[in-house]
Parts: sequence; structure tokens; C-alpha cells
Amino acid sequence: MDRALIRNFAIIAHIDHGKSTLADRLLELTGSVSAREMQAQVLDAMDLERERGITIKAHAVRMMYQAKDGQIYQLNLIDTPGHVDFSYEVSRSLAACEGALLVVDASQGVEAQTLANSYLAINHGLEIIPVINKIDLQSADVARTKEMIESTVGLDTTDALLISAKTGQGVPDVLEAIIKRVPPPKGLPERHLQALLFDSWFDSYRGVVVLVRVFEGSMRAGQKIRLWSNGRVFELETLGVLTPKPVVINELVAGEVGFLFANIKSVADTKIGDTITDDEQPAIEPLPGFEEIRPMVFAGLYTVDAHEHTQLREALDKLRLNDSSFFFEPESSVALGFGFRCGFLGLLHMEIIQERLEREFNLDLIITAPGVRYKITKTDGELIEVDNPSKWPNQSEIAKVEEPVILATILTNEEYVGGILKLVEEKRGKQKSFEYVSSSRVMLQYELPLNEIVLDFYDRLKSVSRGYASLDYHLAGYWESPMSKLDILVAGEPVDALSIIVHRDFAYDRGRALASKMKELIPRQMFEVAIQAAIGAKIIARETVPAMRKNVLAKCYGGDITRKRKLLEKQKEGKKRMKRIGRVDIPQEAFLAVLKVGEGSS
Amino acid sequence: MALGVYLSVPFCRTKCSYCNFASDVFSRATFAGYIDRICSDIERAPVVAEQMGGQYESSVDTVYLGGGTPTLLDSAQLERLFVTIRQNFCLQPETEITVECAPGTLTAPVLEVLRRCGVNRVSLGVQSFVDAEAAVVGRLHKRATVFDDLENLRSAGITNINIDLIAGLPYQTTECWERSLSDAIASAAPHISVYMLEADEDSRLGRELIAGGTKYHAHFVPDDDLTADFYLAGCERLNAVGISHYEISNFARHGFESRHNLKYWTRQPYLGFGVDAHSMLKVDRAGKNFSEDKRTETDETVSPWRGFEAVRFAMPDSLEGYIAVRPPKRTPLSRQAAIEEIFFLGLRLIRGVDLRQAATQFGVDSINEFAATISELKENGLLESDGSVIRLTTRGRLLSNEVFEKFITIAESVG
Repeated sequence: MDRALIRNFAIIAHIDHGKSTLADRLLELTGSVSAREMQAQVLDAMDLERERGITIKAHAVRMMYQAKDGQIYQLNLIDTPGHVDFSYEVSRSLAACEGALLVVDASQGVEAQTLANSYLAINHGLEIIPVINKIDLQSADVARTKEMIESTVGLDTTDALLISAKTGQGVPDVLEAIIKRVPPPKGLPERHLQALLFDSWFDSYRGVVVLVRVFEGSMRAGQKIRLWSNGRVFELETLGVLTPKPVVINELVAGEVGFLFANIKSVADTKIGDTITDDEQPAIEPLPGFEEIRPMVFAGLYTVDAHEHTQLREALDKLRLNDSSFFFEPESSVALGFGFRCGFLGLLHMEIIQERLEREFNLDLIITAPGVRYKITKTDGELIEVDNPSKWPNQSEIAKVEEPVILATILTNEEYVGGILKLVEEKRGKQKSFEYVSSSRVMLQYELPLNEIVLDFYDRLKSVSRGYASLDYHLAGYWESPMSKLDILVAGEPVDALSIIVHRDFAYDRGRALASKMKELIPRQMFEVAIQAAIGAKIIARETVPAMRKNVLAKCYGGDITRKRKLLEKQKEGKKRMKRIGRVDIPQEAFLAVLKVGEGSS
Repeated sequence: MALGVYLSVPFCRTKCSYCNFASDVFSRATFAGYIDRICSDIERAPVVAEQMGGQYESSVDTVYLGGGTPTLLDSAQLERLFVTIRQNFCLQPETEITVECAPGTLTAPVLEVLRRCGVNRVSLGVQSFVDAEAAVVGRLHKRATVFDDLENLRSAGITNINIDLIAGLPYQTTECWERSLSDAIASAAPHISVYMLEADEDSRLGRELIAGGTKYHAHFVPDDDLTADFYLAGCERLNAVGISHYEISNFARHGFESRHNLKYWTRQPYLGFGVDAHSMLKVDRAGKNFSEDKRTETDETVSPWRGFEAVRFAMPDSLEGYIAVRPPKRTPLSRQAAIEEIFFLGLRLIRGVDLRQAATQFGVDSINEFAATISELKENGLLESDGSVIRLTTRGRLLSNEVFEKFITIAESVG
């Protein structure tokens, strides 16, 4: 195909601003999908994605379009994940494009993720076409939306397209604008192969499926390809494009987008952002921008039923075949038994993994309080990284703790600014900017410790803004902070699964809140049980569960001994399901409920 | 060994909120059919006992007519029950014959039939002498009604009387509880039962308590600690006036202990008739011997119940199921289960469990298996021993389920 007739583009949009609906319309208009086989929102393939209305897996769809100029163009729509946890994947998807549609809901305006992704697109030198969607809505305000795009993204909106993806109004113009405004790809087929790996996933029949954008050179079946980051070589088995049905093709050349199978067994080998080159005639250098994915959020995963530990390991192994961006290693807890320390890209990622484990593998899980990875300089000069409270050194051995910090961008309506400011201040935020992006819309930028974000920040933000605030963030460095390990002791025994790392200023409040929550959750035992919160040897809060006074079956109706015995058995079995720490039986719910004790509720 | 016989009459005028028994309000029209059904059961007792694999015995030395409210039956119906019992069993001299009565149901004709049928013990479901307290849970009588009933009973020659009290009723205060205790003592009844309110899924009030709701005045139920205090105060006052504690919930003057209820705690056999009635019979000794001692690989003639020490069976727990003659639910007891019962039933008695006697019955080794459990419970102050006898301490009585649990092994259910 003549490179001049190829256009590679992405759609940038906030959740619910109409990305998938617009993609559906484009597929329909180009005849890629017949209306009959069209399920709503074909791009979001996984059940989970459909349910949550977010796109987790990027996909690439090739459409053939006859433009008004009479020429037939190859349009490659590269879908991008819609959540901050996956911003690296977004950046790689954008790197595969020359242009992007910036879709903004005319009734809602610009949101934080849209903004962050627009900046990414601008940084990658993409041509951005503003598309104002949902103009059929009564509440649509095109002028205000344009104003916001201009003041936040800094784009000229004179030629913004006004559409309704739902009704199809204005959508044909979108295709024409892509042809006219997005530049065709550069690169030459005769050069040495440089292809960007921008997504991969595991298919149980074919092994790993890789999505690529060829920048230079060409790919054909039978070719030996090499992955730049690990040097591994595979024989290219099949090349194809998604239309969105997979179609096998002979060749992918510079400028084109498609998928490949090469008998690759593990997605861990196919790192997003990696460069694929020819093994015999490799390129001189890789494409820019590759980064190893590093998990940001860490938590312990345990099965409620200890016997399911092996199943959990198998499930994690299988899931990792599919998603190389989460990490796990065995850990054991006195309270919870054998489990795994897992690293995730973010909270949503953590929730998705947990949900997939429970849903696809039918496991009941306990997940410990999520935390972050700290850099600790010990008094002997050694530098260590700790993401597990149980590995936290003694306070006396710590010279310095540095905690990861993010730069958060929050967009909201001005009436919610007060509540949000209070929240970010409470979360130890430092203001970077405060800006009106339209007459009533405010953009806040704050540096915030990631540790404060992982527990309940999303929920709190949602509640103080009644859902009218959007958040995006990226890692922005480290702060030196007085962080300590807060332990919960039950009858003098520390319960490792309940330990958290906390800022000194919050230690007392958190300690009190945790101790009082535990008091509610631990049933009365045969003896008085002290619940203490401690930092090192220092007790900072104490609660007491008084000894049980009474547990009697009084009446015996007509000699019904069987019922009595059943009740005793039930009581005994109930205790077996509890975790015994020292002499104290603690119900599973206690470990779960403690996660819900945020600072906000203390 | 003479049997105990229990007859269940699941009819009430109203259903009390704390009631976790299968009784309910039914129309009088259902009474006749029920009496027919229960009488035919009594006639079939030897057959049923055999089907269940239990050892039948025709001599009987306690009869207990419980409910529900048996005195809702009319005189002819009550009389027919007693006549049927006397026709089918051999009542021993001095048989204890108890009828449960709700205060206010002891009309002259009822009293007359009780007297005529040889009823010599009456259990009055007083629950509280504080009228407001009784009314709140659905009792239909007042304090004065109870004293009238007592007078009438004594005039009819029935002096062996029990009074039921419940500690932990909604709105109950220390002062109210003391008043009920004083009245119970003043009534001169030789037997008093003190039950602590149970929060379980089988009563409406219990379900509400568990759910933390406010129906049935659940939010005015005293907390566990206060109820425990009521109980301890009751034990102290009753013991002090010579109504001695003999079982977790039961108090009596010497010689007035309920012989029927003692059968439950001491594992003596009994047969129950009617809705949700329970029976326990020993398994034929031959069967046991075959399994334990003389069993051979080729012996096809051994009793199918070999290896079992006793059998419990329960009649359907709904009136509908009972009338439809659904089969009883059978639970055979292995020797291990029987030994466990020795403990969790026997320890309910203040006199405790004699380990030496249990060892004679079940073998020293079987009983010694509990030695560690027993010493741990003693260390925790829940059990005390006196020679070869172990018994609950005062604290242990209040925490008896925690103690009993330790004597139970959870096995796959048998049968």
C-alpha cells in the first residue's frame, strides 16, 4: 500500500465521553463491521471491560475507506486504555500513531485523563483533531467546551468537529478530517526493520499475540525476528490485521499496523514499548521511549481457604501469561498463612486482577492493605527498597525514608473545589497550580504521596465532588518523609497482616481507628483481649475486648439433644474458620474490614 | 429401664416472640386430627422403635405433656391422650406426670381432667411476674393470674409445681428481675427454672437480635453481661432459700427435681410423640456386642445397628409434615458420640460427671482421651474436680457452651 494512503490514529476520550460509540460508527461507515454482527462497543472485548465501561486492552483495527477524493485509504484505529494506571501503555499506543481524535463530551467538558493523554499525544508530535461529541444533548455547551479545550489542551478549536456518535451526525466528516489532517506515516520498507510492540496478550490457542506498528522495513511470515530488550529471537509464524475480525496477510510494511504470532509462550517476553527488528539484519538502534514497567502499588494476596493456596499460585501463573504488568512472589504471614506479595500498576489494576482471580478462577481472596515501595537508607549506609511492612527495618536502623510522590491533575467544577482542597491537604498534598480553565471549571495540580492515594483517595474524591472531579497522575519523584510501621497487637501478639506504613503525623489517628475497628470485629473470648496499636515498642492506642460472660443453651425442648449438638458443632466450626493469633480467634472479616478504615473515617 | 414419654402439643393462643419451638397458632379444627394422629403413633410405638433400631420398653415412669400449650386441648382430648398412654404403656407406681400450662388456661374443667388423669406435676410458663414485661413478649397473663392458678392447682391437689422464669426479657431491669424472683419464691413452688433468653435464628426475637433490629423490642433486651448478672443473682437467691441449683437452668427443693428432664441429661431412654418430638433409645445390646467383640468377616446376620450405642430420632417439625406421616429423622449415636454426650449433657448437672463411673461404662481409655481437655478447662477456671467427679464452676456454667464444645468432635454425619 502506498504510504500516502495510510493513516494511523488513536482516540483520546474520558470514560463515557463516547470513544467506543464513535469507534463503532467509524467501523460501520467503513463497512468493517456489518450492523448485524455488531455488538455494542466492539472494541472492548473482555467481559470485565464491557462491565466497567473501560478499555483495558489496546487493540488496533484496520478500516478501508473510500474518501471523497476517490482514493481508498487504509485507516488504522489504535485503541488506548482509558485509565491512569495504564498511562505507559497509552503512551506506547500513541507512539504508534501520527494523529489522534480528542473526543470531548459537550455536556461535560475536558476531564483530567483526557488532558493527560492529550499532553502525551502533543509530546509525541501527533496531529490532534478536536471532536466535540454528544451535541444532540440538551445540556450540550459547544462554546464552553471549545473554550475549555483551548485553555487546557491549548488547541485551536476553530476547525473542531461537532458530532453525535450516538445518532451518527457529523461522523462522516471525522473520516474526511483524518484523511486531510493526520499526516501519512514516514519510513521506508527497504530499511532495516524497526517495529514498535505496543500491546500483547495471551491467546490459549495461538500463544502470545503481539500488536505492532512497523516504522521502518517490513515483516513477513517465516522471518526471524528479534526482541530488542531481551534479545530473544522468534520465527514469525503468522501476520495479520484486525478488521476487527482477524485476517491473515503476507506482509506488514513501514507505516502499517497489524498483529503477529511467533510461537511466543509468555507475555513477559513481549514487553510493551519494545522494538522488534530483523535477527539477520538488525536495525542500528531501537525506537525511543521503551521503559520497563514498574509496579506502583503492592499488596498481599491470600486465599480465604488455606487449602486453595496452590490454586492461587496456578491462577497467578496463568494470569501473568496474560498480563505481564503485575508481579508476584511468595510471602507468608503469621495471620493469613501462605500467600503472595503482588505488585500492580495502580489500584484499578489491583482490583481488576483480584476480580479476575475471583471470577475466572473461582477463588475467595483476602487482600491486605495496599501500600507503595519506599526507599530506605539505613544507618549503615545501605540503601534498600521495601514494599512489604513485614520487611520494614527497626526504626533505629533507619536513617532516611523516601516515599514515592505523584503529580496529580484534578479537574472539577468550582463548587467542589473547597472539599477537594481540604482532601488533598489532609493527604499531605503540595499545591503546584490552581487555575480556572473556564468560567466555572478548575484545574488543580498537586504533588501527593502515593501512599495517601492508594487507600481511599478515589472514593473520597468521588464523594466530595459528587463524581464531578476527574483525576490523573504520574510518578513525580520522591519525598523524604517520617514514615513508620504501625503494628496492631492482639493480646500482645503482633498481627502482621494488619501492619501498615504510616506518616508520623497520622500514626495516632490511624492507630486509634484501627484499634477501635478491631475491637468491633473481634468477638469476645474466654478472657479479656487487649488490642494495641504500636510504633516500635511504643503503644499509641489501646482498646479492650472484655471477656465473654455468657454462652449458654438454656432450654431443652422435649429432649432435643441433636439440636444442641448441632449448635455446638456450628460454634466449633465457626472457630475453625477464624484465624488464631496466639490464643485469640480472629474472624476473616476483621482482616477485610480493616482495609476500609481510611483516615477519612477516623 | 423404664422409659420417659413426651407428648408434644404444638398449639398456642399466640406465638411468643422468644419462642424457638415448633408451636404456633392453629384453629381448633386441627386439634382433633392431631390427637388422632398422635394416638395412632403411641399405638405404633413398638414398631417405630424397632424400625429405628432402638430397644423398646413398655414400662414408663415419667410422662411429660409439653408444648405449646397442652391445656388448650379440651377435656376429652386431654383425657384421650392419657388413656391412650395408659393403654399402651405400663405406668409404674409413682410415675411423674407433668403438664405444661400457660397461666390463665387452667379452667375448672381442665383442672378436673388433670386430676382425673393422675397428673401430679404442673409446669407454669410464667416467664415474668412483671405484667408489662410479660405482655411485651406476647404472654397473655398477669401476675395475679399466676397466683389464682397456684391456688386452684393446690385445691385440686397438685402441689408439685414448677415456675418458668426468663432472664433477659426486653425492658427487664435488676429491680424487675428481683421482683420476679421474690414472687417465684413467695409462690412456694418447689421447682423453678431460670432460662436466659436465647438469641438464635429459630425465634422472631432472636432473629431480630442477631440482625440488630428494633422489632419485638429487641433493642430493649438487656445485654449479655446484665443477663448473666440476673442469672447469677437468681442462683444465689434460690439456693439461699433451699431451692437448690441442680441443673444449669433448674432449681428445686430436695426431692422435687424433675425426673423426666433428668432423663435427658443422664441419657436414660425416652420416647416422644407429636410434632418435633424427640426420642432416645438404647441400641440392642446384641448388636453392640456383635460389632465390638464377636463380629466376624463372614457374619451376615449382625444387627445393622452394630457399633451404635443409642439412637435418637425426631418427628417432623411441622404440623403438616407430622399429619402427613413423614418419617422420623434418625440419628444413630456411636460409642464416641455417646461418650461426648456423657460430658456435654452430664456436665449440665450441678452434681457433675463421675469419671470413674463413665470409665466403667465406656472403658478407661475412652475417658482418658479427655484428660488433656479436662485439665485445660480446669486451668481456665471453667471446671473443678472433686474426687473422680468433675463439674462446671459458676463461671463455667455461664460459659458452658464453650466448655461443651471442647468435648465434641466434628465427624462426617452418620446414617
